[in-house]
Amino acid sequence: MQVTVADPRPRIVVAPDGTGRVAGVRCQACAEPVAYPWPACPECGGPVVAAEFGPDGVVWSATVVRIPVADRTPPYALAYVDLDDGPRVLAHLDDVAPAVGARVRLRTDTPDPHVEVIG
Amino acid sequence: MSDVAVHGVGTSHFGRAPGTDLVTLAWNAVSEALADAGPEPVDAVWVGTVFAPAGVAQRVLRAMGITRVPVVTVENACASGTTAFAEACEAVRTGRYGRVLALGVEQMSTAFDGAITPEDTDPEGATGLALPALYAMAATRYLHEGAVTPAQLAAVSVKNHAHALHNPRAQYSGRYTVDEVLASRMIADPLTLLQCCPTSDGAAAAVIGPATGGPREVGVRGVALRSGAPWGRRSPHVWGYDIVAETAADALAAAGLHAATDVDVVEVHDAFTIGEIVTTEALGLVAPGEGGKAAETGVTALGGAHPVNPSGGLLSRGHPLGATGLAQLAEIVWQLRGEAGGRQVEGARIGLVETMGGGVSALDGNACVVAVLEAP
Ligand SMILES: [Zn+2]
Repeated sequence: MQVTVADPRPRIVVAPDGTGRVAGVRCQACAEPVAYPWPACPECGGPVVAAEFGPDGVVWSATVVRIPVADRTPPYALAYVDLDDGPRVLAHLDDVAPAVGARVRLRTDTPDPHVEVIG
Repeated sequence: MSDVAVHGVGTSHFGRAPGTDLVTLAWNAVSEALADAGPEPVDAVWVGTVFAPAGVAQRVLRAMGITRVPVVTVENACASGTTAFAEACEAVRTGRYGRVLALGVEQMSTAFDGAITPEDTDPEGATGLALPALYAMAATRYLHEGAVTPAQLAAVSVKNHAHALHNPRAQYSGRYTVDEVLASRMIADPLTLLQCCPTSDGAAAAVIGPATGGPREVGVRGVALRSGAPWGRRSPHVWGYDIVAETAADALAAAGLHAATDVDVVEVHDAFTIGEIVTTEALGLVAPGEGGKAAETGVTALGGAHPVNPSGGLLSRGHPLGATGLAQLAEIVWQLRGEAGGRQVEGARIGLVETMGGGVSALDGNACVVAVLEAP
């Protein structure tokens, strides 16, 4: 049986200026930024409103995966990126992991969250 | 003085055993635990497992004549076995049941071809974040902050594999050098193969009952269980630190201890080398940023000031997820009875078990259990 399942990955939308944004929510009680369209704040349970984050951020940490994972072909680089005034999101990187602290920008042309190094 | 005690423990051998059925794995653990505790029947059973098929608890228990009692199956990732233990202790402490069996069972070799496949209904699982990569993120961050060196990461693997030379139930053991660990195949930078726990099958069990002062009873001084807080930029710590620190504080307070340094022997969740380093710091066994150095200088080795993972840990014993927490508990029980043979921590009176399991994105761990135990 073929069924369509919900894609749990952060939803990337294109802003009017052509750059990418993560479409999530922000808590109205504690201002927590959340990368997902969740119904309540994970930090405090407070009410949330839709919010968009990005396109730029800083690499908090990174790694290169050298083993096959599900249907992905190694090696591939991953980073946790702290979006400016936004949440920490997991994103793919072009094949070499940049240094922790690198400035990066969301791409808009990939199904996975994906960032490229800027400046 | 504890109200609740561990009356008996048992484990299977740990290793890849795809041809062994779950009944046999579970029986190897339960029969040893019941022989250790005495033959009275159990009033209830808590079973921890993660990837086993539905119905596994009743399927293995009926094959050993444990029927007509309440059976509860729990899943808390790597902490499933210790969650079963925590709930069994609480059931005895409150008087709900008199004698409770906690069982952890897992067959990883038939579920996965290599590393655990990430959960594809989870955002980070669907993005390709295998568990080694999650721990690798912590290791990269520690390296960036100067809180650890590659050689110190490797030292955890060297230490735990050497400890396991004295543990006949361990999947792997060996005398490795730091260079050999670092030269093994890269899995997720900077973690190499010998810094990752293997794929393992196994079972472990404990019989819990009221403390009666028996000469082989190991007292349960305090147990705590938590799920993780949201993890992100609010925390100054790497993934998995805060949940361990907070759960340990609860358990130490329940045990009436001021600090983890009052403990003589510790089994922690070293699924990856960085995990042991972060955990020893989060427990307060060593100062922040000192976990790597503690492994490198022998502080956390057998014979050191704070021996960690005398069994060889998950890195050597193996990591059948649901069984792991109860295997850690069994090691501490043997240590506190003086039955640990060539890996015995001399004169150990107080022991601690820590298990932390994760994988749900945006959370600082799915669950952590910390238990403090005392010698008969
Ligand atoms: Zn909030």
